[in-house]
Amino acid sequence: MAKDNVVVIGGGPCGIEVSRNLRDMGYTPILLEQQSELGGHLRQWDRLFPEGVDARKVLKELTSDLRGVKWFTDATIDSIKKSRKGYTVNVDSGMTFESKAVILTTGFKLFPAEKKEEYGYNIYERVITNADLEEYFRTRKDSRIQDPKTIGFVHCVGSRDEKACNRQCSKVCCATAVKQASEIKELFPEATVYCFYMDLRMFGRSYEDMYLNAQKKYGVRFIRGRVSEVSEDIDGKLFVKAEDTLLGKPMKMKMDLLVLMTGIIPGESTAQYSEMLGIERGEDGFFAPKDTILEPCRTKDAGLFIAGTCTGPKTLPETLSEARATAIQVHNFLSK
Amino acid sequence: MRERFLIGFDPFVLPFMLGMAFVLIYCIIGLIRVILQLPKADRRKLAASLFVPVNALRNIRDMFLDCLIHVKLWKRNPKLGYMHSSIAFGWFMLIVLGHVETFIYVPGKAGLFYYPIFFRYFMQMENYSLRGSFFFVAMDLFLLIVLSGILLAMFKRIRKRFFGMRRTTRLSLTDRVGLYSLWAIFPLRWIAEGFTAGIAGGSFMTIPINMLLKNFMSNPENITVAWWMYSVALGTFMFALPFSRYMHIPAEILLIPMKNAGLKVYHPRKGFALAQIYTCPSCGVCIDACPMSASRQNLKDTTVYLVRQVKRNNARRMNAMTDKCLMCGKCQEVCQINLQSYDIRMRIRERAAYNVGLKYDYLDSYKPVPGKGKVLYYAGCMSSLTPVTGRSVRKLLNAAGVSWTQMDEGGGICCGRPLILAGRRREAADMIARNTEIIEGSGASVLLVSCAICYRVFKEEYQLKGVKVMHYTEYFNGLLEEGKLRLKRGDLKYAYHDPCDLGRGCGIYDEPREALFRVGALAPAKQEKAMSVCCGGSVGSLTLSDGDRAAITQASVVNMLHSGPDRIVTACPLCLKTYSRYSPVKVVDFAEALCDGLEK
Amino acid sequence: MIDFGYSLSKSNALKIENLDDSRFKALHKLEPDAYKCIGCGSCTASCSAGVFTELSLRKTLLSLQRGEGKGYIDQLQSCMLCGKCMLVCPRGINTRHLILSICKIYSVEQ
Repeated sequence: MAKDNVVVIGGGPCGIEVSRNLRDMGYTPILLEQQSELGGHLRQWDRLFPEGVDARKVLKELTSDLRGVKWFTDATIDSIKKSRKGYTVNVDSGMTFESKAVILTTGFKLFPAEKKEEYGYNIYERVITNADLEEYFRTRKDSRIQDPKTIGFVHCVGSRDEKACNRQCSKVCCATAVKQASEIKELFPEATVYCFYMDLRMFGRSYEDMYLNAQKKYGVRFIRGRVSEVSEDIDGKLFVKAEDTLLGKPMKMKMDLLVLMTGIIPGESTAQYSEMLGIERGEDGFFAPKDTILEPCRTKDAGLFIAGTCTGPKTLPETLSEARATAIQVHNFLSK
Repeated sequence: MRERFLIGFDPFVLPFMLGMAFVLIYCIIGLIRVILQLPKADRRKLAASLFVPVNALRNIRDMFLDCLIHVKLWKRNPKLGYMHSSIAFGWFMLIVLGHVETFIYVPGKAGLFYYPIFFRYFMQMENYSLRGSFFFVAMDLFLLIVLSGILLAMFKRIRKRFFGMRRTTRLSLTDRVGLYSLWAIFPLRWIAEGFTAGIAGGSFMTIPINMLLKNFMSNPENITVAWWMYSVALGTFMFALPFSRYMHIPAEILLIPMKNAGLKVYHPRKGFALAQIYTCPSCGVCIDACPMSASRQNLKDTTVYLVRQVKRNNARRMNAMTDKCLMCGKCQEVCQINLQSYDIRMRIRERAAYNVGLKYDYLDSYKPVPGKGKVLYYAGCMSSLTPVTGRSVRKLLNAAGVSWTQMDEGGGICCGRPLILAGRRREAADMIARNTEIIEGSGASVLLVSCAICYRVFKEEYQLKGVKVMHYTEYFNGLLEEGKLRLKRGDLKYAYHDPCDLGRGCGIYDEPREALFRVGALAPAKQEKAMSVCCGGSVGSLTLSDGDRAAITQASVVNMLHSGPDRIVTACPLCLKTYSRYSPVKVVDFAEALCDGLEK
Repeated sequence: MIDFGYSLSKSNALKIENLDDSRFKALHKLEPDAYKCIGCGSCTASCSAGVFTELSLRKTLLSLQRGEGKGYIDQLQSCMLCGKCMLVCPRGINTRHLILSICKIYSVEQ
């Protein structure tokens, strides 16, 4: 097999896994990452659901053997030109790569929580996001978290919300919330933890067990009702207004800490690449593949592939499976 | 000049005479109806406006400037102004000069309506005179002016963009009959007078026509046909007039004294409102102005079409269109005849039977936070969804060392304006009474509001004794001018949005800008102040869907980004919430923007 | 079938085939988005009148769907039409128009 170049844009878990698999098949993957390190959002997580596996271990495992993969960080794409031979990718550092196939694994962005101003992120001291909490679990440093006695988790922040211009469900935040609720209860055993949800999407294997654990072992209280507004009292404690829809009564609760489960929305670059390469996007802003069931990694252009969360919210195992599948698809395409 | 015929009459004048009679009778009946529909007090006011000499002079001056010269239209759009004033003033002068001619040459026939109009048919030129030449030249000059206007009007139907209008009114059938017959009148007059120019004399317009086909033109049978056509065009126009938009010609003469008398709209289809409805010339400038024109399917619900439905008394359409309206007031702002569409819509809403039996006896159980201190801050319903507003206001108040309390800390009673906008004035009275009780009982001297909607209702509907109502834009600007609040200037560019209720509603335009200028540079929107574009979030609309509002908001955002600002500043929490959904640039509250300038 | 006497006492359960949702269908004609509600409760939580009364728009709409609503319609009379519910609804329903339409259909007496 010839050592063909394959350009992979986006050095998160998906991009890394695609590159490794292509390398194993004899290709020379060229992995381009915009940030200073490989790993994407995985670098920011502490433990992964449902079993609580250490994210750092997973990342280390993924990046342990990248021999044969030409990876570049701090690389921003200037332009990608298509010709009959293939694609010419120009990077801002001046490098140019020629490749018959290009794979976009550009990933996602978290919904900016300040856009839901009624929740008071960056306005009230004690409101943080799920990403902030993961950071706290990793570093144990966050001035906003001071021995909280009552902790609330707000589901669906920026997801399933016309007012946030995002109708889609972000899939992973329910499982993340249950995981984080259990974990924070481990850190603060005296605290009471509440989860304010509209639905609890425990779709994966062992997710229901995680939920059961949260209820039974950690005593997390689940309230079915969407938080409508948050205000602050003189001591900086938060007043959370929600309706307990199962009981049928509106509630006003005092909290020491509020965690907003921000959802997965299309990354900054998705729109740019869509324009640059003519890839269609769905109404939700993610890349739209050629066929969602039979060809979820192909686009209109035979040599242009898309994989990972840039095509929609996914869990990490799903992302990695998609990466491997895409590698095979690329191999089949290049072997023709 | 002398008369050509013994009897100064010919059957061809009949279409015109019948039309004229019809219009006169219709107008007199209409006038009586309108006056009878006015409340007694308004009738007295109107009489004062008509018969007191200084008022009468003012009315005549306004009639001249508005009906004939269209001064307002000239200021807005000179091309349209010329087009309308050339036709209106030119035609007026043709009629006046025709009457003068008749008075001079045939005083006996001065009472006949048709004689001055068809003067050139009935008269014969005897000899040249300076006086005669004057009339020939003047008449032909005014005819030329009118024809130039007609030509522009025809051109406007094909290329309205030349006149700066994106959209014009879709005309009804009777409008079209009126329009085409109006267009036909003056060319036909030109031709008719050209036919008789050899007999009756003429000038630079009519004589050349006569010379073109001398033999054809001199045939008496052809002459009669030409004048018949002219008369029929006039007659058709007259018969169509009361049922078309051209009713505005006589109606505006009635409307001007009524407006100058300061009358109010009490009923959407009677009295003063009826006079306004008939004065609407269907010009269509309100279509472009309406924020709903962002979506094509909502064009049919703009004010000009509402007026048409009110004329036809189509209750279903009237209610549907009124319920959709954002009540932003821009159509009233741009209207050439100052049609009070806002008031008319409010009257329609108040008469709509919503079957909403709202009751507020629970308000007595509301125990507000006792207010001490000179400034009582009423945040309003919306501010709990934009916590940055309240927090910034509190910060600024503390920085200025003002003693203040917040009235609705844990949730209060709505100010009542959304209820009033839905036409439920009576129910809102309960809320207003309770709020008044609380405010007056608090001992405060200033009621500070951070919402444009609340501000408007406190100013218009509440009567608070000993309490001054201030919007936070004017209040903080006042503090800045007095030096009680000091802010540092930064390098951000702010695009200030005039909320509909604060700007057009209450006339506050400059204070917010003066205050903002102390913290940064101003990046004005393309249309601002009285012409500002509604954000689309107004609670004035009862039925607009989320999708329709999205289109309106996005169009409004484009307007705001005209000068490339770093921030869009709003002075109303509803505008803030609405803009933040779609704006690529950060949207900040006015108080939040001022806090940018507070020393850390 | 032997009758053991259980049917003597009235069942507490709602029988779905006996529900009269004709008025709910009429509501849908006036405000098509009535079908979109997922019962999240944001409207009830943010309600201005909900601070003083038991007004719950979510409950009202749900009970209308189930064919019973009399008690809840009376609660609707406390609505101030302030519009906060409309601002928070995640499905983008025009809740103010929904309330006015409910009142129209169920003809709340003045």
